[in-house]
Amino acid sequence: MSKNQIDEINRNIYDFKNKDEYDFKIKKGLTPEIIEEISKQKKDPDWMREFRLKALEVYHELEIPTWGPDLSELDMSQIATYVRPKSKLNNSWEDVPDDIKNTFDKLGIPEAEKTSLAGVGAQYDSEVVYHSMKEELIQQGVIYTDMETALQEYPDLVKNHFMKCVPVYDHKFVALHGAVWSGGSFVYVPKGVKVDIPLQSYFRLNSPESGQFEHTLIIVDEGASLHFIEGCSAPKYNKVNLHAGCVELYVKDNAYLRYSTIENWSKNMLNLNTKKALVGKNAKMEWVSGSFGSKISMLYPMSILNGEGAKTEFTGISFAGKGQNLDNGFKVVHNARNTSSVVNAKSISKNGGKCTYRSLVRINEKAKYSKSSVSCESLMLDDISISDTIPVNDIQTDEVEFSHEAKIGKISDKAIFYLMSRGLSEEDAKAMIVRGFAYPISKELPMEYAVEMNNLINLELEGSIG
Amino acid sequence: MIKLNETPVRTSRNFNINNITLENVEIPEEVGDFKRVQIIGENSKIKMDEECSEISLNYGLSDFFTNQVKQKANQKIRCNVESKTEKELRIYFDFDEENLQLVDDIEIIANEETKATIMIKYEADEKLACFHNGILRVVAKKGAKVNVIFMNLLNTNSNHFMAIENEIEEKAKVNYCIVDFGGKNSITNLDSNLVGNFSENRIHTIYLGKEKQLLDLNYKGVLRGEKSNLEIEVQGALKDKAKKHFKGTIDFKKGAKKAKGNENEACMLLSDTAKSLALPMLLCSEEEVEGNHSSSAGKIGEKELFYMMSRGFTFKEAQKLMVHAKFNKILQNIKSEGLRNYILKEIDERLE
Amino acid sequence: MGDKLLQIKDLYVNAGEKEILKGMNLSINKGEIHVIMGPNGSGKTTTANAILNNPAYTKKKGNILFEEKEITNLKTDEIARKGIFMSFQLPEEIPGVSVTNFLKYAKNKATGKPVKVFEFREELKTYMNELNMNSKNMERSLNVGFSGGEKKKNEILQMLVLNPKLAILDETDSGLDVDAIKTVSKGIEMFKNENNAVLIITHNTKILHSLKVDYVHVLVNGQIVKTGSQELAKEIEENGYKKYTTNRSQE
Repeated sequence: MSKNQIDEINRNIYDFKNKDEYDFKIKKGLTPEIIEEISKQKKDPDWMREFRLKALEVYHELEIPTWGPDLSELDMSQIATYVRPKSKLNNSWEDVPDDIKNTFDKLGIPEAEKTSLAGVGAQYDSEVVYHSMKEELIQQGVIYTDMETALQEYPDLVKNHFMKCVPVYDHKFVALHGAVWSGGSFVYVPKGVKVDIPLQSYFRLNSPESGQFEHTLIIVDEGASLHFIEGCSAPKYNKVNLHAGCVELYVKDNAYLRYSTIENWSKNMLNLNTKKALVGKNAKMEWVSGSFGSKISMLYPMSILNGEGAKTEFTGISFAGKGQNLDNGFKVVHNARNTSSVVNAKSISKNGGKCTYRSLVRINEKAKYSKSSVSCESLMLDDISISDTIPVNDIQTDEVEFSHEAKIGKISDKAIFYLMSRGLSEEDAKAMIVRGFAYPISKELPMEYAVEMNNLINLELEGSIG
Repeated sequence: MIKLNETPVRTSRNFNINNITLENVEIPEEVGDFKRVQIIGENSKIKMDEECSEISLNYGLSDFFTNQVKQKANQKIRCNVESKTEKELRIYFDFDEENLQLVDDIEIIANEETKATIMIKYEADEKLACFHNGILRVVAKKGAKVNVIFMNLLNTNSNHFMAIENEIEEKAKVNYCIVDFGGKNSITNLDSNLVGNFSENRIHTIYLGKEKQLLDLNYKGVLRGEKSNLEIEVQGALKDKAKKHFKGTIDFKKGAKKAKGNENEACMLLSDTAKSLALPMLLCSEEEVEGNHSSSAGKIGEKELFYMMSRGFTFKEAQKLMVHAKFNKILQNIKSEGLRNYILKEIDERLE
Repeated sequence: MGDKLLQIKDLYVNAGEKEILKGMNLSINKGEIHVIMGPNGSGKTTTANAILNNPAYTKKKGNILFEEKEITNLKTDEIARKGIFMSFQLPEEIPGVSVTNFLKYAKNKATGKPVKVFEFREELKTYMNELNMNSKNMERSLNVGFSGGEKKKNEILQMLVLNPKLAILDETDSGLDVDAIKTVSKGIEMFKNENNAVLIITHNTKILHSLKVDYVHVLVNGQIVKTGSQELAKEIEENGYKKYTTNRSQE
């Protein structure tokens, strides 16, 4: 049977570039002077300036991880870590400069805000240019703003949580983030408040040879609930761009948080992102993750189940095409009794792309009566691609139920014949099988909110990938 | 402090599984004699030799351990299988006070279309602190069929280091039944190369850990031949403060069209201080393959225990029965009933 | 155009290395129901797969014509779109694709026209009621976790929705209980009219108790060795295939 291909995701709508215009762009490189300058530009409080300088020291102490994809092409002396766009923070799209607004229009953000979101944040390069939330949420005491504003207006809340969940020592790129972070969203949901409609922050990197280092800090207080969506994209340049964001999530007792990500960085992006959640008693943390873009991705969201009865779920898919090395996965540590984790990870490799699922499940001695079940499935669409599964399962006590399953394979010829016997062309049949493979994950993604998802995996059978 | 048994692919250092670090392990500089070897079933169809080939290992526990065997082995055994009808050979090593250190180099060459079953056993009296470092290299030429029954029945005061390497040619088949019970530290490296088309390798292992035993099993199967087939099945039980690392890698290389690789690892935790660490890896650079792995850990099912206790078994008896049940399907591979019962008795004693 | 629907002429087909069909001939006209019977390994399933040109089978010689046009080497989907439907002995499971979406898409492909969602769902519900199918299955993944009977009924449902000119039912009755067979027969009767045809491939005669057919063919060792009426099926039910297999071995 001839090998018809499922076309690569159409990237056109993401690939438009605006001129590299900015209000301020820091010179390339990473020195204490540069960090001081960023801090000055951002009008940091003193503790934050010191924090940045300390983080830079840690960055120099730590080594580049050697166990994953090759990061040797990353040269920090060629990356500008701070680019302030020609726009202030606005709460009306009317006030956002035209070229920037057009960018978000094309990505469908203002439209989604009208129809299906309770609040939106939009970051362009290093700063947030738009932030807004529905009035009723403000009245319930919900805070949703950019990190800079939060640092000014809620200094204690920020100081008590900032990089406490993800300490700068975690790894080299977290330390880098600590030194140069800029932008991102801050969310606080007060006790018992249920936010029914999602909030979404969108991150767009336009400037070439630069990095985006947004910091997202979310606190869902006791008994509260929230669905937060994060989207990201960038146009493609010939030289490397870097994304080293950090997401810290505090899910307090009995709280619920769903964190959905649709990552569609351009294929010159190194995505070295860090995400972690601390989950309290009987609280629930859900991760939904679609990883389509980036040249290299190293992303392993982590749930730490600290409270008795805490639960977490991870649902994720990676799709690696030509030139992509997506090293993604999930980490969970069970630290308390009766905790549970469910992992459902899938990957698709084609055109020489490489997908790696790398994970950790650790059930500590204290975590009796805990349960964990992990399922990984990988689809190989040709024989020049690579798919690896590297899961670590660390079980330290006996009263547990742990199971892990992984499968790897290609699309079955029999299934293709079956669908073709119903009148589908070979391409359509393959596309349908791939969409079906991805469905358990894509159905969890908030595709109605971000137009980009429709282009990534078109679930409507009338459309086709090819 | 020594580092050994690196995984084929590294992962985050924080996961503590890329290699194993041992402290306070005495490794003899010079190895004395080891005389207590019995070779049973030697005959004209399996030619014996005391010189092994110079070929070193591609993988192995570490350069140090490989070199020790290649340079200082006090037992070298080469078996050249020439029989087309199945022959049986037993190589039994018994440690005692005069024979405390064994460094052995065993090579099994199964020529085209030959058949053999090789049983290798290491045993030591209860209290002795023995040292064992060995290499077993199996070459199965075209169409050959080799069964290896490998038994580590050392006590829990000894150290057991073992590297196994297979090379399996076209239509050849190598089956392992590995019983891994002994050793304060029992460290195994198994590197299986399914080179030929239609080559087959089945690795069935049972392990048992008690007291403060540490078991480190690092199995790697590389599939290169078309329609090659690898099956790894590992069943184990841990009690007291025993700890086990299982690292199982199935690596489909490009060209291994229609190859199959299955791996299943299950660990029964018999105490709340026993620890099970597992890294079941699937590496794949070929499209037309079928790869599966599964891994599980937990207590023996309470319903089953209750059922058996309601039939009058004590908790311990019921536990033993459950372990027997899990291990039996692997022990079925051993044809000799006497040997099977011997191992079952060993299981019971160790579970006491 | 005449009444000729399917013609198989001197067809030789291999499954892998093995020669299965050895000079098969068959002709089906509009308005007819044909049955091919034969012992295991005689080439029944190969016949169905050869008509749909399953790439797992290789045609060595011979032609297949549909409405007097050559279809021997067309791609499976092109054959399907010409109006040939095959009900699979073991329908494939397609995770993540719901029955409704799948049928909507296939119908769209078959007719070349967009499907009206509401009417389509109503049509589907009607058929499902007739076939005693649980309408909850509509949203489940295609064949995933379906029982044997549900899978077979789902094949009949697809036949009704796609409304082909020729329906080939490969062992649709095997493994079904009496009630399920009655339901399947009912589906066939609902489908059948003077402009289409049905080819039933089976190794037993159960379905013929509740369905009237026009022709019965006996397939042995890759060739049709006898053609008759419904009476022939009765005879086989009583005496088995022995007569035909021994005849051949004496040749």
